[in-house]
Amino acid sequence: MTLADAVPVDAADAAAGPTADPTADPTADPTADAAADAFVADILRGLAIVWTDFETRLDQVPIIDKLNRGAFRLEDYRALLANLRQQVIDGGCWIARAASQIDVAHFELRSQFLRHSITEHRDFRMLEENYASVGGDVAAIRAGEKNIGSEALSAFMFHRAGQPNPFDLLGAMFIIEGLGSLKAAGWAEVIRDQLGLAEDQVSFLAYHGANDDDHLAEFAHWVRQAADHPNARGIVKTARVVARLYLLQLEELDHV
Amino acid sequence: MPDAYITAAGAHLPGPPVGNAEMARHIGFLDGRSEALGRLALRQNRITSRHYALSPDNSVSASNAEMAALAVADAVAKSERALKEIDLLAACTTQGDLLVPGHASQVQAALGIGPLELVSVQSVCAGALIAAKAAALQVMADGKRAAAVVGSEFSSRWFRPGFYPETALADQGHRAALEFLRWTLSDGAGAILIEPRPNERRQSFKIEWIKLVSLAHAFPPCMAAGTVPARRTERDGGWSHRPDTALADGALVLWQDMVLLKRIIRAWVGEYLKLVDAGHIVPERVDWLLCHYSAENLRQEIVSILRATGGMIAEEKWFTNLHSKGNTGAAALFVMLDEFVVRGLVRPGQQVLCIVPESGRAMIGFMMLRAL
Repeated sequence: MTLADAVPVDAADAAAGPTADPTADPTADPTADAAADAFVADILRGLAIVWTDFETRLDQVPIIDKLNRGAFRLEDYRALLANLRQQVIDGGCWIARAASQIDVAHFELRSQFLRHSITEHRDFRMLEENYASVGGDVAAIRAGEKNIGSEALSAFMFHRAGQPNPFDLLGAMFIIEGLGSLKAAGWAEVIRDQLGLAEDQVSFLAYHGANDDDHLAEFAHWVRQAADHPNARGIVKTARVVARLYLLQLEELDHV
Repeated sequence: MPDAYITAAGAHLPGPPVGNAEMARHIGFLDGRSEALGRLALRQNRITSRHYALSPDNSVSASNAEMAALAVADAVAKSERALKEIDLLAACTTQGDLLVPGHASQVQAALGIGPLELVSVQSVCAGALIAAKAAALQVMADGKRAAAVVGSEFSSRWFRPGFYPETALADQGHRAALEFLRWTLSDGAGAILIEPRPNERRQSFKIEWIKLVSLAHAFPPCMAAGTVPARRTERDGGWSHRPDTALADGALVLWQDMVLLKRIIRAWVGEYLKLVDAGHIVPERVDWLLCHYSAENLRQEIVSILRATGGMIAEEKWFTNLHSKGNTGAAALFVMLDEFVVRGLVRPGQQVLCIVPESGRAMIGFMMLRAL
């Protein structure tokens, strides 16, 4: 990947160094401004490529393939929810940990991570309600274990979240939120229709689809906030790792 | 090894232009609902005129192969070559006149030239670039001196009411997808000539590269004929397994899966962005973009993604004649290139990027040209 080459190294390092002035107006220098624009476009392009490859591979995962070809069963829906739940409960936690690692120079990003953490950390409740409504035993999934894909995904997220200024995790958010805005609502609709369920039985998936409309524009804003820091160069790679581990989570259903 | 140059382009668009209000006279009248869906499709594709080889009285002005031959003859007439100098004919179409033999054989016979070597391509829109790449490589590596490449379609004959039994029209979602194609695709042929050296006195383009990517491993058929959507991936789901009922089942109808298409469009954008990322396409250095797209609304879908990712080629650089010549499938790129050359828009040294996505089973082709 050559995205990092697009950023002038000294500009990024200087801004990240101890002498960086957090109150400096980032728009004051037109050259730096243009470089940041180019950096954001390079990151978004890299992410779009990771996303499209991910989306194509998602359709090849057995459970999603069953959904696409109208062969989805109620037990598949229960398995999907049960397996997602073990990772969804961690969602708010790794973002909160990451937020605690963000320095004052990136105060706005820290606020964003915190806000994000709050919206994520209640998600599992809706998932559990959906699970119970299709005959799932909530006590059983609460006592359940992560599948081996979820273990890898969660471990990677917490590992990255423990680093100082882990802005590469914006790449992880891009994949997870992309799943919400571009895939989950469509899945909710197909699952509802194929299994003859009511709206409130697929609300966990449907809710994520309705949640973030202007995914890309908002995301560009956050990448720009982090653009002055060297860790922002890892956004695309982290997205690629998270995309692969997310697929692994779906490929390894019930394999604990 | 010599380079390969496009030294001429030509087209054959049968009959007079047909306006939106006259379409049904050529492709036939299904019912009132069809007319309403047709108006919706025309608002989406924004095509205002097209050509049909099928006349209102059911007579046929040219077969698919004959249209292809006329387009090759038109390209040759605009070149510094003679028809008899052609030593390779690469022909592509979506659905030929016959099931057997190969389409290129039929085109050669219609041209009445030979002996020569053939490449016969059956794909959908991107077939134009599969054929062009095969021809360019033969010019570069096999000593061919004048290769004709032609794409042609006779879509209208499949749109007549006899192909649409009640069963195919019952499902409303499926019906909207059938009607979209019925009111979008039309007839015609486009051709180019590829030689190992440029013209002495006329416009030529050096072929910098041609790249095609197919994602058929990951997607089921998206635009298909010969089966119904529900049986599209079954081993014996095709029309030939039920010769007596295929027509009544709606298995001969050309259809498109509009939901799947949206997923495939994102995958196409990804393939394009990979070429940008690798430096093969530098958007600001592209002077002209000739992109085949089936409908104006699908173009809008991708523009916002391209803008955000630095992959956008400014809209004033886009050239198309979709709106006046219709969507002619495998012929479309060369029909576009012909008009682009005739209008004399390009300047020496300019870079011309051609893009042809094919929804059939998720393929996309790219060709980079340098104007001389």
